[in-house]
Amino acid sequence: MAGLSDDAQWIVMMGFVVSLSFFFLALLLNQSTVVGQTTAESVLDFPKNDIRDVRSVMIQSAELLNATTNPISVSQYQTIQNDIQRLSLSEKKAVVQYQIINPSPLWLSIHYNNGVTSYNETWVSP
Amino acid sequence: MIDDDGNLSIDFLVGFTIFMITLIYVATLIPTLFIGLQSNSIDYDAVAYRTGVILAEDPGMPYNPSWETLPNISDSQILRFGLALSKDTPNILTPEKINRFFCSTEFIYPTDYQSRAVFGDYPYQFNISLQMAGSSVTQSVGDILPVDSTGRSVGTYGYSRRVIKVKEHSNATLDFSNFVVNPGPTPAPPSNLPLGIYTQNATNQAFSVYFNYTYLLNSGPDYDSIAYQINPLAPSGANGLVGGEGALINLTGLQALPKNGATVNLSSISVYKSQSAAPLGTGQEPFGGPELNSTNPSQFLLYIDGNPTPVTQLPCNVTSNVSLFIPPGLLSYLGGGDSSTLLNITMQFQLSQQDWYLNSTQVTPYGAFNYNYTNPNITQPHLEDGVMEVAVW
Amino acid sequence: MVNDRGQLFTIEGVAASMIMLFTTYLVLGATTVYTPGDSHISDMQLEQIGSDALNMMNTPSNCTSSSCVSQLQQIVYEADINASEANSTFNTIFPDYVNNRTGSTSDNLHYYAVITFRNTTDTNTNSTWSYYLASNRNLNGVEHPVRVTEWVIIGPPNFPNGITLPPGPLGDEYLPEPRAVLVEVLLWRD
Repeated sequence: MAGLSDDAQWIVMMGFVVSLSFFFLALLLNQSTVVGQTTAESVLDFPKNDIRDVRSVMIQSAELLNATTNPISVSQYQTIQNDIQRLSLSEKKAVVQYQIINPSPLWLSIHYNNGVTSYNETWVSP
Repeated sequence: MIDDDGNLSIDFLVGFTIFMITLIYVATLIPTLFIGLQSNSIDYDAVAYRTGVILAEDPGMPYNPSWETLPNISDSQILRFGLALSKDTPNILTPEKINRFFCSTEFIYPTDYQSRAVFGDYPYQFNISLQMAGSSVTQSVGDILPVDSTGRSVGTYGYSRRVIKVKEHSNATLDFSNFVVNPGPTPAPPSNLPLGIYTQNATNQAFSVYFNYTYLLNSGPDYDSIAYQINPLAPSGANGLVGGEGALINLTGLQALPKNGATVNLSSISVYKSQSAAPLGTGQEPFGGPELNSTNPSQFLLYIDGNPTPVTQLPCNVTSNVSLFIPPGLLSYLGGGDSSTLLNITMQFQLSQQDWYLNSTQVTPYGAFNYNYTNPNITQPHLEDGVMEVAVW
Repeated sequence: MVNDRGQLFTIEGVAASMIMLFTTYLVLGATTVYTPGDSHISDMQLEQIGSDALNMMNTPSNCTSSSCVSQLQQIVYEADINASEANSTFNTIFPDYVNNRTGSTSDNLHYYAVITFRNTTDTNTNSTWSYYLASNRNLNGVEHPVRVTEWVIIGPPNFPNGITLPPGPLGDEYLPEPRAVLVEVLLWRD
């Protein structure tokens, strides 16, 4: 190889540089086309309506137990509690748990976990 | 002697030429990489979704005092639009926020809305519209959608639709058309009056409506949910109280009250304040003040006898109807925002001669009309269906 | 004069141009053009509309201390007593919520709704059981639906005797008492 001239190596070098820059550009452009799709997927992933809904039904059941007129009994409250926990697990694929920390003023501790998102709250009756 | 050797060898020129031709050819192919790429259009649905959430689920910023109560000159203080009643009641909107949001004389499309509802660096065009169920009126702001005359879309646009409910004000409608003065030797109270209303035969009459805030805020339906609460105390957020709205008092059929042909003059509207509820058997005494004694009813909206123009100067003649709208926040201002206040709004009527008319000053029983959750003549706050659409392109 | 010693310029130029051409064609063939049809955006929009509609259906329009019932609670309560009544009520109310648009044209979404509850008499498995509520088209497997759900509690004061759920796989009637059930709706566009 000693006799071969390497003066022209810069031509091939330029060729390589241009090719690599094409690859980089193509990668960049390809990533940008999924921006809109990723936003929609993350909106679907985050269980905003699920959390709001299950939290509201938990609070309703606790308020029914503590109601001043026609309160439900403790065993009825536990039936509803088991309903919520069991149906959440089988239909919504989420583990939920809640308990009354303090009856008056009503304090509730709420836990929700669907494997991707975990939500914990201590709800105080306004 | 002139040297005829060239600087560059032929080999070099040939190689270099091949390289340059290929480079130029490839460079002209680059724009085809950009054919599928339009960065703004990818965003449209995401921006429409975000704007839909901001408007339907967020009460707006500033929240305390609420942005729709700021005067026009303070528009620059509005950081973010939001139509929801509160952050705990998503998808339940208030008419005040809706009307202020769609007010085209106050906010300019697109700049005012872009910085407060749509956001983003790119100047999106958008259209936000709202329609109540059963109504053909659509409130909207923004450009016309890119559709042709048959409604077919001619361009892509991002779209978000929210199903909403609007909290409509309560109102007290009291009809006196069937008022009867019982004749006979034994005086009997007049009959066919709405519940909680009393009358007297006199020249100077005073009719009062009172709001007991402690009761209104603590005895509301659905565990004091603000979606159904009567709360003319405060605009949203003042002193931690949220969900304020107006109250409307309609007195109709008043022509049936004066039995001796007296003409009636509404001379003033006054607001009195008290910290304790009057026990039964007392009159107006627990209320001190007046906090406001006005012959200028422009702070309220006062409509007399069905005239669509509000009255701006008292005294004025009253024949058949009085409609008094108390705007949200006015009573808060007068009551100091104190939720333990009782406020009493009194209308003074002067009759040309002694005759029967509304009167709350009887000593027994306590005669002021109690604006509460149980009187059958009060239409409680209720929710009306609607739909809101956001289109971005 | 012309030197006949070998030089590499030409062949290196040819080599460089081959590299660039090959790369270019590779790159142009690899980048994808964004098509809205194969994204999750339409799923997100449907899910939002369906959740909103069920949520609003479960919010009472009028609420006083004596009566505070939402349309969905009424439908779930009736669903066991009078299934066809509940079916027609749901079929009247739900399409309005989900198809209404501003302007005069309406949308055209299809749905299939069931009510899911917990089986309390089967203490071994504590399984859940669904019964059909309403639909405006049957599923035949080629649709791409979105599932939205809404929790409904049936209890006092509006329903002081709670709810009697229909017989399940064991054939028993369930205890009439306040319960929480899940209304599930599959929603899709043609």
